[in-house]
This record gives sequence, C-alpha cells and structure tokens, in this order.
Amino acid sequence: MRPLDEKETTQVFNKLHKFVGGNLKNIVLDNQSHEGPDSNPGRYCFRLQKNRVYYVSESLVRRATNIKREKLVSLGTQIGKFTQAGKFHLTIQSLNLLAANAKHKVWLKPTSEMSFLYGNSVLKGGVGRITENIQVNDGVVVFSMADVPLGFGDAAKSTVDCRKMDPNGIVVHRHADIGEYLRMEDEL
Amino acid sequence: MTDCVRDMAEKECEIDLGNLMAFDPHYHFVSPTSSREDVVKEALEQGRRLAQAVVDALFSLPSTEDRDGPIVKLPEPTTKLPREKPFPKPKPPTKWELFAQKKGINNRKKEKLVFDEQTANWKRRHGYDRVNDDKDIPIIEAKATDEPGKDPFAERQKEKKSRVDRQEKNRLQNLKQVAKSGALPSHIQLAATALPITGTKSMPKKVGKDELQNVAGLASTATASGGKFDKKLPGEKPPKHEKKYRKFLPAAEGSGMGALEKQQTEKVLNNLISKNSHEILNIEKAVNMYNVKKEKRQSKRGGTYSSKLKPEKRSFKKSPSSKSLKKKGSSSKGKSK
Repeated sequence: MRPLDEKETTQVFNKLHKFVGGNLKNIVLDNQSHEGPDSNPGRYCFRLQKNRVYYVSESLVRRATNIKREKLVSLGTQIGKFTQAGKFHLTIQSLNLLAANAKHKVWLKPTSEMSFLYGNSVLKGGVGRITENIQVNDGVVVFSMADVPLGFGDAAKSTVDCRKMDPNGIVVHRHADIGEYLRMEDEL
Repeated sequence: MTDCVRDMAEKECEIDLGNLMAFDPHYHFVSPTSSREDVVKEALEQGRRLAQAVVDALFSLPSTEDRDGPIVKLPEPTTKLPREKPFPKPKPPTKWELFAQKKGINNRKKEKLVFDEQTANWKRRHGYDRVNDDKDIPIIEAKATDEPGKDPFAERQKEKKSRVDRQEKNRLQNLKQVAKSGALPSHIQLAATALPITGTKSMPKKVGKDELQNVAGLASTATASGGKFDKKLPGEKPPKHEKKYRKFLPAAEGSGMGALEKQQTEKVLNNLISKNSHEILNIEKAVNMYNVKKEKRQSKRGGTYSSKLKPEKRSFKKSPSSKSLKKKGSSSKGKSK
C-alpha cells in the first residue's frame, strides 16, 4: 500500500473529472469520514495496492499499515486499477462514488435495463431520460428509472444529436455495469 | 694464480665454488670486548678476504673466451644447504593398499602396449583408444539369459560408467582420509574446500547470472566518482541501477495523510480545475439563450413591421439551431403571409 505519485494522481483525477466534473473537489477534499475511534472526522485519500487504487478513509489507512503488503487483499473502496500498460481504468466498485457526484446521467427504460446489465451498450431506444449538455466522450452514469445506479460509460453522441438519432444508434459506450459482479466475479 | 691458491690454503679458507661461497672455519675474533666499530671493521676485512678468495678461485678455473668476457663452468656445490620447507608427512595407505598388504599382493609392472585381438594391432592398456574398447565391438553374441528389449551396448556403457563413478568415489574417500591426517598434497589443498573431500554438509552455492551482475554493478560503482570516469571493458553493459530507486511518500503519516501528500493532491486538483475552468461557461447553451432572447425581441418588433421579408430570412437561417426558434419562425412566417 502506498500513496499515488504525482503522475498517477493526475491520471486518476482526470478520469474521475470526466464523470463528476467540478464535484471532484467534493470527493477529494470535502468528503468526511466518521470511521474509526477518532472524534473528529477524517478525510478520504487514495491508496495504491497491487496496481489497484482504493478510496480509503484516513483512519483505515493508519490501521491498514499493520498488515504487510503481500497479505493485504483490499481496503476501503476500490475505484479503479492501473493496467499493465500503465493506463487507469475505473472499475464498477466506484459506481456509488460516481453516481453520488455525477454530472451527466442517462436513465434507462425498464425494458432495456437487462440488456445493459448483460454488458451491452445503451441504445437510443432504451433511453428514458437524459441530462442536457452532454458532449461526445463525456463520462455518463447510467441509472434505472427508479434512480438505481446501474453502471457508467462514455457518451457516443451529444444530447443534441441524440434527439435526431434512429432508435438503434448507440448513445453510451459501456465501461462497467453492476452485472459484472456476477459475470466477472473472480476478476474484480 | 697458483700463488694465490697456495695463499688461501695457508690461511685455511674453504671454498665452495658451486655455491660461489667461501668460509674460514678456524677464524676467531680476537677480543670479544673490543668496541662495536672495531668488530664491524674486522668483519668487513674478513669478508673482503673471503670474497677475494672466491674471485681468485673463479679465475683459476679453465675458461672459454666469449664476447662479454671469459666464461667458466662452475663445479657441483659441495656444501649441503638446509631444506626450506619441512618434510611432507607420510600419506596414510589407501583402502586398496591396506587390502593388498593384508593379502600379500605385490604390484607388478605391466607393459603399456597390449596386442588387441579385436582390431589385430597393438594398443594402449588404459585410456583413449585402449585395448578391448567398447566401441570396437560391432556385435555382441546373444546369450540364453538375455532379456528381450534390453540393449546390450547400452548396458555395457552403463556398467562402465558405474565403474568409473565407483572409482571416483573411492578416490575422494581416500583423499578424505589423507585430509584428516593433514598430509594433503599442496596441489589439491585449494580444491579440498569443495564438498566431496572435506565432507562439509552445505553444498557450495552456485552463483547465478543476476547475482554476478549485481556484484559487478556494485564493484563498478565502488569508486570515488561512482564509476563515472572508469574505462569500460569491451562489451561491458552499464550497471542496472544507475540512479536511485523510486521514492514514494509514506503510506500513513500523522492523521493518515501527510502534509506532502495533501499538497500534491491539491496541486493536481487545482491544475485540473484551472485547465477545465472554461467549461463552467457552456458556450453552446449561452449562444442558444442569446439567440432565443434576440428572437423574442425581434418577434416583438416583427409584429409592428409584419409586411417586411427580412425577419423571415433570418428566422430561416437560425431555425435549425433550436426548436423554440423554429416555432417562432413558423409563427412569423404565418404572420408574414
């Protein structure tokens, strides 16, 4: 377990910024944890362990230092991982954090929820609602109509272009969905 | 010259020309109480006398003329000098020697060359290309006891190998006994640190390639300049870790996050936000709103000048940008008609 260095921090923040925009400040600086025995709330920080990035409260970090690196499986909330090529990918565990701070959202009709959870992209026909001002390649969090976060991805079309699309066109390229908890149980 | 020799004989010098040496066995220092300076003086005088005697003797030898001067052949040395090293210890007898002694077996000399019937010529008794060599046998006769499926040639090879191995084992066993009695010959004393002779438990560690490289890297940087100005050997690679290893911030410090880490996080965050600050202003939205407002104003005015064609043109141009404009445009169109 170690803190991210400057390059890694930039990568992680860039990726998060794509999804949460200015709310990143909220995630990084303002979010307070009431974990642990301390009376005053601590902050959250990012820690790297075996190529995976975790969003951990400070009190947990202090306690996790007792465990040696090889034996430490996980701590806090995993938000992503560094690939072998050195790129940063957000993983599905980060969904709650993203959903709470999301800038761009897409709501799915109940009929197309299953398709999305099997790992397909979001089609125009399945979109129930969509927030304004989405640009191409913005990070989008996908919700069900009952406001349950289902996953996240990249916008394939801007909001304006969406209006004119045919119903089979792709609106959101999938990055991760909660179906992965079943499909890729070993890899998570 | 003959006078000189006679002189020396009178003074009873003994000369050993083989060792280029002369000494006077009957000489005594006159007074042991005399001062140190006198003793030194006398010793020098006697030394000079003996050296003169050696030189005289040398020149009395029969000589041959050479370009560099006369050359003489020295006679055999007559004085026995004491041995520098102690005598080697006697080796303990090997197992075979003990056995042979018990049984009364004597070593007989055998000829080195033996007549080989396989190839019909003379061959050495032992070693390479020896008599009765396995590889000279083209065919082995089958016996009734032979098992089918077994290669008799391979079996012979195996037998020979086992004999060689056994002999090597015996040799090492005997060397061990010798090492115990401390009579190990000097030429194998260094090799004796290896496992088979001294019988130490741990195997000598085999040094791997990586380990060697590490050691070489350490050695190459172990100079005052860190190896910077050293001449490289041909084909020498640069050391693996020239620079420092990466240093990371501490995993936990104080309340959990150290001041340096906080600073780094804030720096990266501020960079990111300032880079994206222009996104606070959504240009497209702003343009849309501006257009709508303008259109509203114009439509108000358009009510007064309803007969003019200008607003109609404008509305057509801007109509694809937003739905609201389209509605307005169509309404204005209706009005103009």
